[in-house]
Formats: sequence, C-alpha cells, structure tokens
Amino acid sequence: MENLYLPQLSIIDKIVDETSDTKTFTIHFADREYNKKFRFKSGQFVEASVFGVGEAPFGFASNPNRHGSFDITVRAVGAVTRAMHDMKKGDVLGIRAPLGNSFPLKEVKGLDILIVAGGIGLPPLKSLIDPILDARKDFGRFIILYGARTPADRVYKPILEQWSKRKDITLLQTVDNPDDGWSEHVGVVTTLFEKIKLDVKRTVAYTCGPPIMIRFVIQDLLGMGFPEDRIISTLERYMKCGVGKCGHCAIGHKYICVDGPVFSYQQIKRLPER
Amino acid sequence: MPTGAKFVVEKQAFLKSLESIGKKNTVIGPVLMDDGEVTFEPLKSFKKLTFDYVNDFDPLKRFLTPAKENLFTFNLEGRKPRLKAADDVKPFILFGVRSCDVQGFAHMDGFFSGAYSDDYYWRRRNNMTIISMACNKPLPTCFCICCNGGPWLESGFDLQLTDFGDRFLIDVGSNKGKKLLDSLKLKLVKAKPEDEENRKKLMQACDEQMQPTAYLAKACIMITNNRVREELWQEMGDECFSCGGCTHVCPCCTCFDVQDCMIDDKNGVRFRCWDSCQYAGFTHEASGHNPRVKAKERVKRRFYHKLSYAYIKQDGHPGCVGCGRCITVCQAFNLLDISAVVKRLRRDGAIEVETVEQREAAK
Ligand SMILES: Cc1cc2nc3c(=O)[nH]c(=O)nc-3n(C[C@H](O)[C@H](O)[C@H](O)COP(=O)(O)OP(=O)(O)OC[C@H]3O[C@@H](n4cnc5c(N)ncnc54)[C@H](O)[C@@H]3O)c2cc1C
Ligand code: FES
Repeated sequence: MENLYLPQLSIIDKIVDETSDTKTFTIHFADREYNKKFRFKSGQFVEASVFGVGEAPFGFASNPNRHGSFDITVRAVGAVTRAMHDMKKGDVLGIRAPLGNSFPLKEVKGLDILIVAGGIGLPPLKSLIDPILDARKDFGRFIILYGARTPADRVYKPILEQWSKRKDITLLQTVDNPDDGWSEHVGVVTTLFEKIKLDVKRTVAYTCGPPIMIRFVIQDLLGMGFPEDRIISTLERYMKCGVGKCGHCAIGHKYICVDGPVFSYQQIKRLPER
Repeated sequence: MPTGAKFVVEKQAFLKSLESIGKKNTVIGPVLMDDGEVTFEPLKSFKKLTFDYVNDFDPLKRFLTPAKENLFTFNLEGRKPRLKAADDVKPFILFGVRSCDVQGFAHMDGFFSGAYSDDYYWRRRNNMTIISMACNKPLPTCFCICCNGGPWLESGFDLQLTDFGDRFLIDVGSNKGKKLLDSLKLKLVKAKPEDEENRKKLMQACDEQMQPTAYLAKACIMITNNRVREELWQEMGDECFSCGGCTHVCPCCTCFDVQDCMIDDKNGVRFRCWDSCQYAGFTHEASGHNPRVKAKERVKRRFYHKLSYAYIKQDGHPGCVGCGRCITVCQAFNLLDISAVVKRLRRDGAIEVETVEQREAAK
C-alpha cells in the first residue's frame, strides 16, 4: 500500500435487504487491474468510505475463493452506515482493504469445526464458513450455532435455509424473542451447547458477536475443556485508521486493526484490558 | 567531514549564513512574540529570532503531524468521485529544536515506520532538516535527564549546536546535516578536546539545575505487572478533568481522529486531527459499548502506553522525553503529569496480585 489513507473507488453491484436494519452490499473495485488482482483472507476487514460522511470498518462476508467482487453486510447504526443504506446499485464507495489478520484455517484441517455466531457476528464468520464448505472433506464435523434477537433479525435467511438442509452441516438456531412461526430453540446462544455433543479434544471453535455474548461463549467453552488456543474469537473496537496508527483500537500494546481482529483465547487472556 | 565530526564556528557568521539560505528555504525557529512568549515559526528575517527561550509550549511535533492535516480532497461531481491526495511538502529547516523534541521525533520515526509506513508523516519528515540546540539552562519543569531526552544528544539531529556565547560547537549527526553545513560555506575549525570539555561542564551545570524527578523504574514495573492499587487509579481518575491537554502537548503522543468535511456542495476533504485517549468518546463503539468509559481507565491507559514494559520493548524507550509540558498543562493541580504520577505510584508501593493463571483458575 503506498498511501495508507487513500481509498480505492469501488462500485456497488448489488444490495440485498437482510433485516429491517441490515443490508448486504456486493462490491467491486473500479480499477479493473486492481480488481482482478485483489485477494483477501477469511476474517479480514475493509474500511468503507462514503465521501463527505466518513469511513467505517466491516468484516468481509463472502468467500475469499470468489474473485472479482466481495460482500459486506452492514447494520445501520450511525452516520456512515446509514449513508451506505441510502445508496443504490451503481453508486461509488471508497474501500481500503484487505486489513487485519485472518482466521486460522489450514492449521485446523482434520478437526471438527464449531461456529458460534450472534446477530451481525455471522457475516464475518461467513468468510470462513464458505471456504470450509469448499473443502468440506478436509474437516471433521461442522456445527454452526446462530443466535439473534428475533427470527426477523437473522441475516442470510435463504442461506441458513440451505445450510439447514445439508447433511454435512449441523445448524442450530435460537432467538431471544420468538414469533408465532418460530419452531426452533428459544434462549441465548449458549443454551444451544446443551443440545450438541462435542468431541472437545478434536474441535476448534470460532466465535463472533456482541462483546457480552463472546464473554459467555468463551466461559462455557473453557468449562467444557476446550484448550485456550482452540477458542478463536474476534475483538471489536472503535476504529479509525485500520492500519495501527490512530490509536483508537489499542488494547494493551496490541492494535486490533493490525494484530487482530482475530485472536485465540490464549492471546486474549493476556491482554491487560478486556 | 564524516558524521560525528565536531566543529567550532563563530555564532554570528553561522546565523548570517543560515539567514541567507533562509531566503530560498523555509527556516523555522524560535521567535519572540509581541506578548513575550516564544514560539517556533517560519522566519522571514532573523530579526525576531531569540535565544532567550528554553522551549515552545506548543510541541514541535506539529511540524510533522500538524494538529489538523488533510489526507485528500474529493470532488463529487459526476458519477465517480475524484480524489486528490494532499500536496507535496517543501523542504524546511527546523532551527533551535531542543533535545527533548529531537528525541520525540525519534520516537515518532519509529512509530510511523514498519509494515504500515505512514506516507503523510514521512513526506514531512524526509523534508525536514533538524538543527538542534543543546540546553544550557532547564525550565523548572524540565526532567529530560530522567528520560534520556537531553540536555544534549549523541544522535537524532542533523546538526546539533551547543551555545558557547560567541561561538557554537557543532555536532554533525547525519549526511543531511553535513550537506547543510557544506552549503553554509563557513570557516569551520575542528573542535579541540577543550571544547568538548567546555560542553561537558555546561551540560553538567544544566543537569544540576533540573528540579522535577521522574524515577520511572518502579512505576514501570508496577504498571507492567498490574500492581497499582485500583483505588489509586480511581483517585487519579477522579482528579482528572479528561481535558486531553497532556496528550496534546506530549512529543510522544500520536493518536488522531479522521473526519470528512464538505467545503461546498460538491467538494470536500478528509482530514486527520489530534485526538486523545483521555476523551470518553475515544473508544465509544457504534454498538454503544465503551471499554474505557471511566476516567480511571483512561488515565490507566495513558500510563500503560507511556511506561509498560510491553511498549518499552516495542519502542526501545519509555513514551516520555522529559520535556515537562504535561506538568505545565495539567489542570488537575499537577497531580497527573508523568513526574507526579511516577512519584505517587512509587510511594504507594506495589500490591500483590495473582498471576493470569491463578485468576483464571479462580473463575
Ligand atoms: C473489525 C470490525 C469489523 C466489523 N464488521 C462489521 C460488519 O461486518 N457489519 C456491521 O454492520 N458492522 C461491523 N462493525 C461495526 C461497524 O464498524 C460500526 O457499526 C460502524 O463503524 C458504525 O459507523 P457509523 O458511522 O455508522 O456510526 P457512528 O455514527 O460512528 O456511531 C454510531 C453511534 O456511536 C456513537 N459514537 C460514535 N463515535 C463516537 C464518539 N467518538 N464519541 C461518542 N459517541 C460516538 C454515535 O453517537 C452513534 O450513536 C465492525 C467493526 C469492526 C471494528
Ligand atoms: S484503527 Fe487506528 S490504530 Fe487501529
């Protein structure tokens, strides 16, 4: 990267409504050469700009094996995210990417995979789920636990539907507040642990979601006897630069934007503030 | 003339020659303002140049990372925005910098390099030539001798001057300094052993006048190992006004915010500006979660960054150069500047805490 702060102009190809406040954007870089060469890894993120409003970080939500375009899933919570929600197909964003480290994947071949996602935490994990499905036979059992506030608050409903039909995925979903049509589990995501049998010795767990959920998930996984280096989580902090310079995302002497956002619990527990 | 060479030169001749160079190049130096304050400014003539100063209250890091700096401008006419990166920077000479600020630059050099080397910093840094000035007399707030920040330096400058009254002792610190000195076309006399002796005496006299102390070692250990009483952090948090003054004047503080601003309907600018870890909003996430919502956590953060072994190991030095500006600026009745805090920590003493492993086991 030459100029750390200058974004690449990028075109919105497609916008899909996921929930009442969340949309998925499919994006490609305007510069054709740049777009052709661009690659990212599971767990990395982008800084997306709406010029005149600002910039905000979002995890890649698509398969890194898919080239030519990528997805981000965005919940409208503030200035930049609302401005993005007001955009249409063909509109131009600024993108700086790829930023941050990535989920360990090659290292866990042969193991069972447990994914625990909460709400808007599923999109960054999708960039991991997709390549695992591409190489499904390289891994053992594949269990996905997903929790949301209500059935309507779940992102990727059609994809969840597909996953639930696959024999090689165990997908369990739960909501805090069910509606009339809801036939699956009710309760926080950690209550799903009772419903699955894990071979703790040969499983690696990945989790992403609100900080409070992550805390309880890690606690339960430790209780089940998961080794600390097999619990992989993302940490979220307020970010500005994404390149380790502005200081906003620092925890101890680590910068979540360059040393993270992916950490094992072994690393997390050594951070002075968490 | 190799780097490390030492010369003695007539002071007036040096200044005259620098002034004539200043007609074509920007020379920034200490200027006496109408209100009696001394501040560093581009020198149009050397008339207002003063030597009756110790330091500028406004940290000289502003010449490398200005309080507000444009990253790029954008024009939103048409389908595709047009971005234009900030303009190039012209070469400039920073004259009369004190040693503590030179050490501050060295800290920033380290911070802004590495895997994500910061273009905007380096385009200024590479165009800056440092003529530093060893200190004969400290301010009542100076404590550079506790932080390897002065009163004179072995390296980090391009040229270093020591004021002998009618003459300067010049240390050549880099090729850039060598080139500049060549271009001044001065009658240089190689420094003799008695000149260096003379400097030693001057510097020793300066040493002896330092008033504040900053015995960092114990504070470093206590902070690194989380052995400061939580109640003491709470006390300091209660005293802190969260004004951010200490971080703004610190030569080692680099944090910034990034903002967009529209100039008119179609044109706007993205800029960065100094920010402070002492502001509550610094870590406020869009979700509402804020890991450092309490002032005590922010004070703790500041000193963790300045004094923890984790950072010292990474940077090669503590995050303080002993310039004493935080002593001058602190609104909290001088309770929270770095010299005061290390004293409070030392006197309070380290508490026993369990190890991470013990804490985990207890859960
Ligand atoms: C690594 C990473 C990955 C992420 N991935 C995703 C993702 O995939 N999808 C997704 O939807 N989100 C993701 N997020 C979160 C996302 O970045 C934020 O939702 C986004 O930055 C919000 O920006 P905004 O401009 O819309 O909100 P803002 O307008 O910045 O803020 C929204 C709210 O926060 C408050 N606030 C913000 N800054 C301050 C401040 N300095 N002081 C006081 N209050 C403040 C505002 O008042 C407002 O209430 C991710 C975050 C990180 C760090
Ligand atoms: S976001 Fe700026 S340092 Fe991490």
